[in-house]
Amino acid sequence: MSFSFNETNSLKIEFLAKRYPQKKALILPLLWLAQKQEGFISEKAMAKISELSHMPYMHIYSVASFYSMFRLVKNEKKVVEVCRTLSCELNGSEEIKKHLLENHSDKYEIVEVECMGACGGAPMCTLEGKYIENVTPQMLDEVLNAN
Amino acid sequence: MQTKIVSKNFEIPHANILEVALKNGRYTSLEKLFTYQPQEVIDIIKTSNLRGKGGGGAPAGAKWQLASDFAGIKYLVVNADESEPGTFKDRQIISKDPHLLIEGIICTCYAIGANSSYIYVRGEYEEFSDILQAAIDEAYAKNILGDEAKYPVEITIHRGAGAYICGEKSALLESLEGNRGHPRLKPKSPEPEFYFGEPTLVNNVETIASVPFIIENGAEAYTAYGTDCSCGTLLFAISGHVQNAGVYEAEFGVGMWDYIQKLGGGVKNGKKLKAVIPGGASTPILPAHLVMEAKLDYENLKSLGSALGTGGMIVLDEDTSMVKALKNLLRFYHHESCGQCTPCREGTSWVDKTLDKFVNKTATLQDLEVLKSVSKSMNGQTICVFAPAASGVIDGFLEHFEAEFLECIV
Amino acid sequence: MKILVDNRPIECKEGELLIDVLINNGVEIPHFCYQQDLGMDGNCRMCMVEIKGQKRPQIACDTFVCENLEVATKSEKINEVKRSILELELLNHPVDCPICDQAGECKLQDYYMDYGLYESHLCTPKTKKGKHIDLGSNVILDQERCVLCMRCVRFTSNITKTGELGVIGRGDKARIAVAPNHKLQNPYAMNVVELCPVGALTSKDFRFAQRVWFLDSAKSICHGCSRGCNIFIDYNETKYTNEKVYRFRARRNKEINLSFLCDFGRLSYRELNESADCFVVPPRNDGYMGSVAIQNSDEMNHCERSTVIYSSNEMSHCEQSAVIYSSNEMSHCEQSAAIYNSDFVRNLLHIKKKVALASPSLSLEQLQAIQEFCQKYKVALFSLPYIDESFGDDWLKTNDRSANFAGVKELNISTCQEEFESSLKSAEVVINFDHNLLKSHMRGERMRGSALGVPENKNIIHFSTSKCEHGTVLAIANFAHESGTLINCDGLRQEFYATKYKSEAPSLIELLEVLK
Repeated sequence: MSFSFNETNSLKIEFLAKRYPQKKALILPLLWLAQKQEGFISEKAMAKISELSHMPYMHIYSVASFYSMFRLVKNEKKVVEVCRTLSCELNGSEEIKKHLLENHSDKYEIVEVECMGACGGAPMCTLEGKYIENVTPQMLDEVLNAN
Repeated sequence: MQTKIVSKNFEIPHANILEVALKNGRYTSLEKLFTYQPQEVIDIIKTSNLRGKGGGGAPAGAKWQLASDFAGIKYLVVNADESEPGTFKDRQIISKDPHLLIEGIICTCYAIGANSSYIYVRGEYEEFSDILQAAIDEAYAKNILGDEAKYPVEITIHRGAGAYICGEKSALLESLEGNRGHPRLKPKSPEPEFYFGEPTLVNNVETIASVPFIIENGAEAYTAYGTDCSCGTLLFAISGHVQNAGVYEAEFGVGMWDYIQKLGGGVKNGKKLKAVIPGGASTPILPAHLVMEAKLDYENLKSLGSALGTGGMIVLDEDTSMVKALKNLLRFYHHESCGQCTPCREGTSWVDKTLDKFVNKTATLQDLEVLKSVSKSMNGQTICVFAPAASGVIDGFLEHFEAEFLECIV
Repeated sequence: MKILVDNRPIECKEGELLIDVLINNGVEIPHFCYQQDLGMDGNCRMCMVEIKGQKRPQIACDTFVCENLEVATKSEKINEVKRSILELELLNHPVDCPICDQAGECKLQDYYMDYGLYESHLCTPKTKKGKHIDLGSNVILDQERCVLCMRCVRFTSNITKTGELGVIGRGDKARIAVAPNHKLQNPYAMNVVELCPVGALTSKDFRFAQRVWFLDSAKSICHGCSRGCNIFIDYNETKYTNEKVYRFRARRNKEINLSFLCDFGRLSYRELNESADCFVVPPRNDGYMGSVAIQNSDEMNHCERSTVIYSSNEMSHCEQSAVIYSSNEMSHCEQSAAIYNSDFVRNLLHIKKKVALASPSLSLEQLQAIQEFCQKYKVALFSLPYIDESFGDDWLKTNDRSANFAGVKELNISTCQEEFESSLKSAEVVINFDHNLLKSHMRGERMRGSALGVPENKNIIHFSTSKCEHGTVLAIANFAHESGTLINCDGLRQEFYATKYKSEAPSLIELLEVLK
């Protein structure tokens, strides 16, 4: 089975194609759409993107592997990211991470990430990409147990 | 103490909605804009001394001129890749007053003769770029943007995907072209950036968001704020060990300690100040005694051996382990090096691993020498300033806090 | 205009790349990522020089020369810079030179001896990456030895435009790779091995075959097609073995092949290790010539005399067995095989109706000697091109698979196939000067592209560099042992040079001299 973008995404692609001077520029938007559609970027999706962007397959793979937000393997669990960079660490991100690993790692995949631009709300986490700022262990328990 | 130019509408509820934005003065600068010739707009920007607010502080007018001097297709690219640790100001503009940015984009495109623009938003800011996209859609619907607008401008949001280096303008353009975010070799003489070979202006979100005020009120109104060389205001950010972390706009030249106390609410939990990283992680650290005399402008911080950078201050209290703090930052550089140039690829990894030995208190004097010599090898020998920044960070910590590192040596 | 390099004036043109000026003038300038035919990339930072008036050292591959530029390549400061960068290049390298095939031609080794010579300061674990990864097309990758100069990636993206190679990951985890379930697969793939300045990419075909410091090189020209790509023949001879050719390497020629070769041409060195077995098949009384095959070489080496005669199936039907002399054995004979054979050949040359076919891959000098020979013995001389419509492409490979067809035309040797065929029909003796068409062709079969088969009842004499399946064979030296001139498909006249060891088989020109 080959990969194809769903109807909504195909319309988006058609729209975006007019916005860029070259097809190659579609690579990042297409990788995002593929990830949205399947939860990760499969080899078949990359083959499709290679076709749509007129670039070799290896180029797509190489680009996808450069950016830390692109997932090339399927996650079985929902992802909780914990920022570990300085402002968050100064405000207790290590305890947050420890708490997550001890209490939520069976249900969630806990990933440490670098600065998310939420230093004003340190420490911070994301749940499936959504920012949760000024987190405390109690707050996390509430949010994660409710999910 | 705050001076609200860019952040004027931040407190207004729903200022991201066009209707609310229009009631609160958005898009009023456009009327005035179209009474000027494009070159006149550039001249106003030059007179206003507006400087790039992404960290470099280069004069914006000169950059505009370089792009404007080319005939034919041109692009404006707005850098919203905000990834410098300690920096979270562009995010405020995008989510709280997106129409200010759109207004600024229209002004800038008109000035340099571009009809297409891209906003490169860091991938993590999905929620915020959705707000921005909604604002753009509204602007299209009202013919503020698009072919039917008075001056036709297209705005396309391009999402990054988690790479600090894409905040470097040439890496950003590579990424925007569908490549890995590898910075490009620097030109030998001043020239604009190029997107798919066409001249392109790359400016930070806040720089562009400052433009409507200048157009509307004139260059003098802007230079009235700040110092002689650092004119206007900046959305300074403050985080770390402070009571009230956040983004507060202030004039250039205000005292750093004053700012920390008055706007940041002072050091958290009544502790004493140990040091401040003044403008995002990549600016050399200032110990408390220098913080007291530091002023928040480009020239003053440079004279203290650091830099204003993005204006994102990270405050460290008296209990902070400088070894751990440096380890934290070096891990960041190790993680974010694009891997293109040898000194950076190998150097950032080496110093990070070496720092582990200090954290574990198993370091030797040779490890300290390694830190110093690798820092030297990373400085001034790479395509972009990523490795030199890491080098400056190491040097800063060792200059002011070497004793703490010596304590970790067995 | 002039620039000053280490206080020495050097003539150059405005706007040339400094690194090119340095390389072209023999100034040592260490570099990994720059390659003259791939251009600059600027990532390795090894080619740092000091430029008067510039605060920081600059990379020579991103500096364009201008009037009165003053460059220092050897100052203490710049050597320290190079040392520090080299230390970083080598930091996570496994330093496995004793088992690395690149040893002896590795830039990391060379530069370490020139600029390094430091003690390692590494007190943390090395970064681990993938080893002996088979990329396809005979190319093996060791990611730990790689300096990420991107030459191989740039080759597949910019030159072949096939894009199989790329970098994955970033920072110190960045590494060269092919995509999962994909292979490096293009007709020029093996160039990446030669482009690789270190031991990251090695050739499955060459690795572990020979240490490079035991190899000699001869400047030659690839004979695989009419492009005339410039090559080095890397070869040696040891006490117990005859000369052996180990590989072809591209020899840079800006007009023709730049620094590249096609894989077909690159691997065609193998043919040079083959040779003809001289043998003579005297005609039977009824004129029928048995087709014979002999088992080759090694076994024969141990025989003092030719006692082992293997006959083909066909042979078993022959009443009379042929006398076969193998080439190896001949070296032990007091009487040279060539002389023996030439006596036999001389007799044949007195038969009236003769036709000759010369290979279009022979050098101008050889073709001229053939022309003279044919004039003397009144032999009608022809040459036919080697055309293979499936071989050529829009870059180096041409459909004309001969090295010197332009030379054939210049010498006005007839290339008319119809005339050749009618001459062949009436001829009693056929002389083949190494032309493939007659060599491999079994009697009675149809020749490719021809309505004719080689008629029976003919004496065939081969002057051949490789095995022949029938006829009388006089082994001659192949082009590794020859010097000569070729004209390529674009009319460029080029010389190639012999290796320094003598071939066992005589050169064609010498042999023709003897026969005269």
